[in-house]
Amino acid sequence: MLGRRVFLNLSGILLAGAMIPSALAADQGMIAAAKKEGEVVWYTTLIVKQIVRPMAAAFEKKYPGIKVRYVRANATSTANKILNEARAGKVAADIFDGTSTEPPLEKAGLVAKYVPASAAKYPPEYKDPQGYWVAGNLYFLTPGINTSLVKKADAPKTYEDLLDPKWKGKMVWNASSTSSGPGFIGNVLLTMGEQKGMAYLEKLSKQKIVSMEASARKVLDSVVAGEYPIALQIFNHHTVISAKKGAPVDWVAMQPVMALVSTVSVLKDAPHPNAGRLLMDFVLSEEGQKIFANANYLPAMPSVPAKVKNLKPEAGNYKANVVTPDKVATDLPKWKAIFDKMFR
Amino acid sequence: MSSARGHVDAHSTRWIAAILGIIIALLVLPPVWYLFQGSLFEITPTGAVGEFTFEHYRRLLEGERLATSAVNSFVFAIGSAVVALLFGGVLAWIVERTNAPFKVLAYLTTIISLGTPYVLYVTAWLFLLGKVGPVNDLYRWLTGANDVLINVHSMTGMVLVEGMLWSPLVFLLLSATLRTSNPEFEEAARMSGASVWDTIRRITIRLALPAVMALVLLVFIRAFEGFEVPALVGLPGRVNVLTTDIFLALKDTVPPDAGRASAFSVVLLCVVAVLLAFYNRISKSAERFHTVTGKGFRARPFDLGAGRWIAGVIIIANFLFVLVLPNLVLLWASVLPFFQAVRWKAVGLFTLENYKAVINSPFYLELVWNTLILAAASATIVMVLTLVVGWLAVRRKPGGWLLDQMATMPLIFPGIVLGTAVMQIYLAVPIPIYGTIWIILIAYVIRYLPYGMRYGYSGMLQIHRELEEAAGMSGAGNLVILRRIVLPLLAPAVASGWLFIFLLASRVLSLPILLAGPDSQTIAVAMYDMWTNGQGTELAAMGLLWTLIMTVIASGFYFLSRRSGAGVYGN
Repeated sequence: MLGRRVFLNLSGILLAGAMIPSALAADQGMIAAAKKEGEVVWYTTLIVKQIVRPMAAAFEKKYPGIKVRYVRANATSTANKILNEARAGKVAADIFDGTSTEPPLEKAGLVAKYVPASAAKYPPEYKDPQGYWVAGNLYFLTPGINTSLVKKADAPKTYEDLLDPKWKGKMVWNASSTSSGPGFIGNVLLTMGEQKGMAYLEKLSKQKIVSMEASARKVLDSVVAGEYPIALQIFNHHTVISAKKGAPVDWVAMQPVMALVSTVSVLKDAPHPNAGRLLMDFVLSEEGQKIFANANYLPAMPSVPAKVKNLKPEAGNYKANVVTPDKVATDLPKWKAIFDKMFR
Repeated sequence: MSSARGHVDAHSTRWIAAILGIIIALLVLPPVWYLFQGSLFEITPTGAVGEFTFEHYRRLLEGERLATSAVNSFVFAIGSAVVALLFGGVLAWIVERTNAPFKVLAYLTTIISLGTPYVLYVTAWLFLLGKVGPVNDLYRWLTGANDVLINVHSMTGMVLVEGMLWSPLVFLLLSATLRTSNPEFEEAARMSGASVWDTIRRITIRLALPAVMALVLLVFIRAFEGFEVPALVGLPGRVNVLTTDIFLALKDTVPPDAGRASAFSVVLLCVVAVLLAFYNRISKSAERFHTVTGKGFRARPFDLGAGRWIAGVIIIANFLFVLVLPNLVLLWASVLPFFQAVRWKAVGLFTLENYKAVINSPFYLELVWNTLILAAASATIVMVLTLVVGWLAVRRKPGGWLLDQMATMPLIFPGIVLGTAVMQIYLAVPIPIYGTIWIILIAYVIRYLPYGMRYGYSGMLQIHRELEEAAGMSGAGNLVILRRIVLPLLAPAVASGWLFIFLLASRVLSLPILLAGPDSQTIAVAMYDMWTNGQGTELAAMGLLWTLIMTVIASGFYFLSRRSGAGVYGN
């Protein structure tokens, strides 16, 4: 135990230096230690039925004897849960993910530095220069439309199109986190600039967009069910997953599209540190990335293509605005305040 | 009774009161302390208490948010209490006091809906009343309109759903009161030539008034502090109430804005305290309403004549609205990969995937166990505690009044606030139960003490002192009286109380949502997550299976408590 701590501290010091050595691959020693720990606790913001279950099943199959336990909540709740547990001196999670989970936890000194070997295959914007996180998957936030209620030709294609009076009261978005109204506001401000952006939002606030206290997935489901014709700021890959099952839904590449990275990190005081690192290795490995792709999620590793290729900007030929977790952390309160003031 | 014996008895009673007092004080006082502290001091991110401040309250008073939410809370609570009382009260009277047909349907509805988690129930109503749900669909089909008949995400929708949610409870509690109240007065009135309506108005309602008032207050308070309906029905339509404001302060900000939430909670606490004072004034005069005496009796039902068929239709309507329709729409949703309006073309999408996912995941089995163990344990602990407190309080034993006050006090906590308070306590004190099932158990016991008290206390109120006095005259001590006279007579109240708390605890969301760790998830928490992350159809499948389990359990206990009731009251 003590030896591991010392090692971690040492690696921390090394990582803080100019050179960032990639950590050891999932070697036999770590696997043995992880098996001794017997389980790994994953606090996740991913959708359980689509991706968490297959990922956990594949991991358990590859490393028999290590059980994956998961707790799903949105990024805000997940961060708060871990903060509280740390206060009680009883961190339950080993590994966590999310688009805005990491910064507050890093600030509270709870995140361990860990860079899996596979991180070398990721471009710099998809990993933390200090080694606190690596992107597990990507999100592109676009409008989603119900294809039986809105014909493809009539669907809004630009931000200006959303101001059309015929969409008044017909659009819906999530009320919290980034895949939401505040995230939409952020993208508008970052891409149009403060002044032009605010003028646009002022006009948009007249459109009576419906706010839902639910995930973007749920918001999209209400569009699938036909409750609203248009969802804003939903994940484009979700529309593909639903459409595959026969749902009347499609996405629009409204440019510039907001791109978010969902990061994966391990916790400093993780009860199962080796199993946690092993799972992180697995999620970021080519094998894990392919599971994302198979589930119609968008793997962050550039060499693993999306199952439906045009979902990613390179193949889909659209412009994306990548917003890093740090940018989200600093600006989200401002976007939220604007949202509360103008759209609630 | 010899003086020596009386002395020993008073002594033993005092010990009982003292021990209970310590237990209950340790349960209910720390949350209050932590709330006030949280609202008046800066709390640093590490949990240390900082400087004294009025800042949290000042922020609360900024803008119109507080006033709007407070008004909404009141409207919501009053509306829900009225709807619940209308639905449940009328039904209780019809079932307990008349010769209407189909009574068994009313019990069936109550049993099943009491076992249904709110989240599932609310989900069913959202499916039903949603923009593309069958109700609005039917309306559009009939009128050719393009609009909706009812927008469920509105105050009307909230009141309707919450009222329906509580009507089975009102039915259960009120029917217990009606069943055990002495029919002599009613019969006397009828013999003196009073009509059925006059008898109801001037005898039945007046006799049941303390119980009805207590019930209205109970539903009012529960709706006032309710969380599920405001969160799932109100928030999407931007109808904010006080509890959802607290929820947003705790959930929407990292780290949680505990100061604002605490200040909000203290405001709620004061409002509810006033209501409780009002409640105490009612129950003080309740002694005049003793109706279970040493004499045997059995209520005789009114003959409604042809009117009994109208009463039967009301029972069937209740059965349809509270039970059949919500479950049918859940069934529809559970065989679809994603929710669709009720149409023929959706039938082509039918699949058993949702059921397969539920049955094949060991995770759900764990949830079932956690939920059942928590519910049974908390119901047992609460009923043991409150049985004794109820007796001490009604019989004006030393400390009885204080114990009653303390055990009733947790009513002032909205579930979501009690959850935060309990969480803060066990984050601060070095007892390592955070994230385990134990912290949830403690929160449940605190939460349901007042509910146990209502059963213990009102059950006791109806038992006349003369029975105990007779035992006392024959030389029985306090403990013997408690064991051999009070306990058997109270058995129906205790059994219903246990069942009631068990069912509430098996479906509560607001407490475990903040307290559950990875190993201590409950069904309701899992359901909320599933709903908010868009697994509504899998939720429907799991919910139906869970309702099935709960119905078996609930009906078992229900018939048990009916049987013990019949035994006492001489059927």
